Amino acid sequence: MANLLWLQGGACSGNTMSFLNAEEPSACDLVTDFGVNVLWHPSLGMELGDNLKKLLNSLTSGEMALDIFVFEGTVVNAPNGTGEWNRFAGRPMKDWVADLAKVAAYTVAIGDCATWGGIPATAPNPSDSEGLQFLKRKHGGFLGADYKSKAGLPVINVPGCPAHPDWITQIVVAVATGRGGDLSLDEFQRPKTFFTSFTQTGCTRNMHFAYKVSATEFGQRKGCLFYDLGCRGPMTHSPCNRILWNRQSSKTRAGMPCMGCTEPEFPFFELMPGTVFKTQTVMGVPKDMPTGVDKAGYIKLTAAAKAASPAWAEDDIFVV
Amino acid sequence: MASDNGAVLKAIADMLGNGLETQVEPFPETNKEFSDILLQLRQLDPKDLKAKLVVGGFLDHPYGPEKQRCLECMYYLVHRKWCDLPELAVPVEPEWWCRLWRI
Repeated sequence: MANLLWLQGGACSGNTMSFLNAEEPSACDLVTDFGVNVLWHPSLGMELGDNLKKLLNSLTSGEMALDIFVFEGTVVNAPNGTGEWNRFAGRPMKDWVADLAKVAAYTVAIGDCATWGGIPATAPNPSDSEGLQFLKRKHGGFLGADYKSKAGLPVINVPGCPAHPDWITQIVVAVATGRGGDLSLDEFQRPKTFFTSFTQTGCTRNMHFAYKVSATEFGQRKGCLFYDLGCRGPMTHSPCNRILWNRQSSKTRAGMPCMGCTEPEFPFFELMPGTVFKTQTVMGVPKDMPTGVDKAGYIKLTAAAKAASPAWAEDDIFVV
Repeated sequence: MASDNGAVLKAIADMLGNGLETQVEPFPETNKEFSDILLQLRQLDPKDLKAKLVVGGFLDHPYGPEKQRCLECMYYLVHRKWCDLPELAVPVEPEWWCRLWRI
């Protein structure tokens, strides 16, 4: 059995909702098939008050082993570094996080808020929020850049707003079944198995991207969402079009631009008016190019793609 | 429909060929400036072709040192020879340009 504790800091519970909707494996499968013992979770935990405090103290003292410490939400430091704005079980949550991270075999940050601060840490960051080991792109965060869990790994970051249900449960299973050491993490400590390819990988609009045909309104079935509607699919690392949402679809498949929620800068441009769902350009050229593409190459590619585009690329081939 | 587009295309070509002065400058450098032009276009009578051309800053030739033209613009549909930007939605020639050009 692997003891798992899930706590919530500055959060909307979106990742809890996501976790409870997991299918492969499901939250129940974790318990019945993979030997995960959920000690406590904000939506599932039975203990309250003194009993909960007793449980937490038995973990921090080492009396009970903490195999997997999952944290959702930001670490709230306000006011004045005390963390008093987010109290839990009799003390600031940040103090529990500090103590529990020391005794955890693995520490897993779920969702953007726990990984890099997410929306709460967006300027002016009134709650003085940060992620467990990052604040946006800056390495460090609440636990510090040198933090390693008892198993010798840094915080395992599973970002997303929310993270996909199956990213969460699959990582928990990997850790609970002793395969945590096999996890390969990228520079932002995201499991490479999920975060090496792009959101665009597997997008049904790729042919419209290739032939430079733009969607001009939400929900249109034809056209790529990158050119005008601010889609960040070509430069966002996620498997959203490989591991589908609800096993059915994805934002881009449904005509909704990717907002880049698995990247540390999310929400981009600090949500300044006019920046959401609008491709940012400089003299008509996108500010953010698809990863690995430069401006000159992009312009050449566009000219060639337009010149070569077939007539069907301009039709709504999904409606007959 | 195709002949209608042909007639509109010819009407636009004639206006531009006859020296219609359009608002080529300022080019919208920011999204805010771009949106402001779109707002102006939305307030026009959709049938007022001349006003669309003026506010859009149309030219019947490529523009600037990089020779920007409709052909590379993301709103241009090559086979229909059509500008698909909803606020414009007019037939255009590939060698033309307007200040709502984006790539």
